[in-house]
Amino acid sequence: MTPLQTLPEWAATAPAIVLALTGLALLLIDTIDPDSTNNGLLAGTATLGALAAGGIAGWFLIGGTGMESTGGAISLYGDALVVDGMSLFFTLIFTSVAAMVTVASYDYLADEPHQGEFYSLVIFATTGMTLMGMSNSLATVFISLELASLPSYALVAFLKKDRGSIEAGLKYFLIGALSSAVFAFGISLVFAVTGSLVLPEVAASLAEGTELVGVLGLGVLMIAGGFAFKTASVPFHFWAPEAYEGAPAPVSAFLSSASKAAGFAVAFRVFTVAFPLETVTAVGGGSVDWSLLFAVLAVVTMTLGNFAAATQNNVKRMLAYSSIGHAGYALIGLAAITTDGGAANGDVLGASMAHLFVYGFMNTGAFLFIAMVEKWGLGRTFEDYNGIASKAPIAASAMTVFMFSLAGLPPFGGFFSKYALFESAIGSGFWWLAAVGAVNSALSLFYYSRVVKAMWIEEPSKPLEIGSQPVGLYVAIIFAAVGTVLLLPGFQPVIETAQTVAAALF
Amino acid sequence: MVPPQYYLLLSAAVFCIGVFGLLTRRNALLFLMSVELMLNAANINLVAFSLYWGNVTGQTFTLFTLALAAAEVAVGIGIILVLYRNFDDVDVTNATTMRW
Repeated sequence: MTPLQTLPEWAATAPAIVLALTGLALLLIDTIDPDSTNNGLLAGTATLGALAAGGIAGWFLIGGTGMESTGGAISLYGDALVVDGMSLFFTLIFTSVAAMVTVASYDYLADEPHQGEFYSLVIFATTGMTLMGMSNSLATVFISLELASLPSYALVAFLKKDRGSIEAGLKYFLIGALSSAVFAFGISLVFAVTGSLVLPEVAASLAEGTELVGVLGLGVLMIAGGFAFKTASVPFHFWAPEAYEGAPAPVSAFLSSASKAAGFAVAFRVFTVAFPLETVTAVGGGSVDWSLLFAVLAVVTMTLGNFAAATQNNVKRMLAYSSIGHAGYALIGLAAITTDGGAANGDVLGASMAHLFVYGFMNTGAFLFIAMVEKWGLGRTFEDYNGIASKAPIAASAMTVFMFSLAGLPPFGGFFSKYALFESAIGSGFWWLAAVGAVNSALSLFYYSRVVKAMWIEEPSKPLEIGSQPVGLYVAIIFAAVGTVLLLPGFQPVIETAQTVAAALF
Repeated sequence: MVPPQYYLLLSAAVFCIGVFGLLTRRNALLFLMSVELMLNAANINLVAFSLYWGNVTGQTFTLFTLALAAAEVAVGIGIILVLYRNFDDVDVTNATTMRW
């Protein structure tokens, strides 16, 4: 069948355009009648916008836009942006997380002022993340990273009278500003060596060789530091527990799922396209081996995140450290890339992307459950969760699904994604990364099951009072739970898509 | 023409001054100024090597970096303002309600 009409090339960025227009529409709605706030209308518009963008991305992904079947990646604006399978795959993650967060915020924000600003900041940050996935030039990488970060700082500090929220926002901002300065300096060093900012041209220039190996190595290291901040990996991880604990819980969900995935999206592209391992090792005589760097970071991040999570008394903080641990798992995708890997490179990178996809559902759901408990005013420690299952069995069941899935127990989505990740790491010859990951997963079961035990087995110390049944939060949590469970039979298409689009990068 | 490594030395020096300020100052506003120094070190590199390579990519990107630095300060000042209202100080080490 011949297509009736061919869309213009710029239409490939439709998800980002829809999100940006939604953000502007939210500001417009808020401006028309600034004195009264229509929470339902704002939340609805934001959710619809996110779902529409996600729907377009899914349609493109199924239709093969920017993939080999339709003529390869579409590059736009002088190669500054590129739309391919990977950017669409990540767009799907960002928009589904954003949709869940905006639905849940309907209840969480019910009594808060400045709702229009909240939703538009969430949507603008999502726009930035979508652009991060498409960035094909260090300039657009930096700008879209800031577009995603700046609204996030404001969102974390959103509760202006809550000292925890302000402290979290301050720490997130200070470390974010520091890491973006380091990142910019890294970009400038790479530009000094190669004379270009467009990723493929950087690689082409490196292939011709350079005398400034030290400058290049420093630049690559600093760029890796910028990504470590965005993905909450060691050594720029220490903002994460503070920011996630202090921030409003839906924002924590958004940052720990979507923002982390965005960091990985851009790191995957920059390191595979601009600094292909075979080129940079040839240039530096083995001294610029970023795969080794990420292997070390992955091991340290996994171990530190999981051990710190095991010692926490506060559920939200435990989840914050567990999200650092999951960043470590996802880093395996970059760590297990080898110079002669061939198809194995695409497999391990794709498995890492699939893990981030599953993680987007289960982690968002877990943080939204915490948002609901906060809404009920029950407290934040494990003891405060005692006996919740007797009052709210549906929500507690959903939380149980998230916890076991995060731990990677067999009947849930999280098991398959971890299994695929560790298997492909072994396939690339990095059995020790898989082993460290497996040991850490076993450890993580300890602290995840503490939540389940508290909810189902322990008796509450004082009588539980659960006020309202927030509809929006319930919808978002059940959607996340259904997503996590459906990824059990549906994991095959996800991993296949992820590995196909990842293989296109090499 | 000045040899390019001089520019690298200059920008590295400015960057290190920024890092030093960041590590030693407790005032949030001085922290912001230090970050600004680090960003400008990147700008020096970009402009200098734009000339060296004979294209305007670096110079154009510098304009974007400047605009982004301004946007970052705008958000940062907002956060520092609410910090002052809640903690009556702009000392970044005072805000410790959460334990590590």
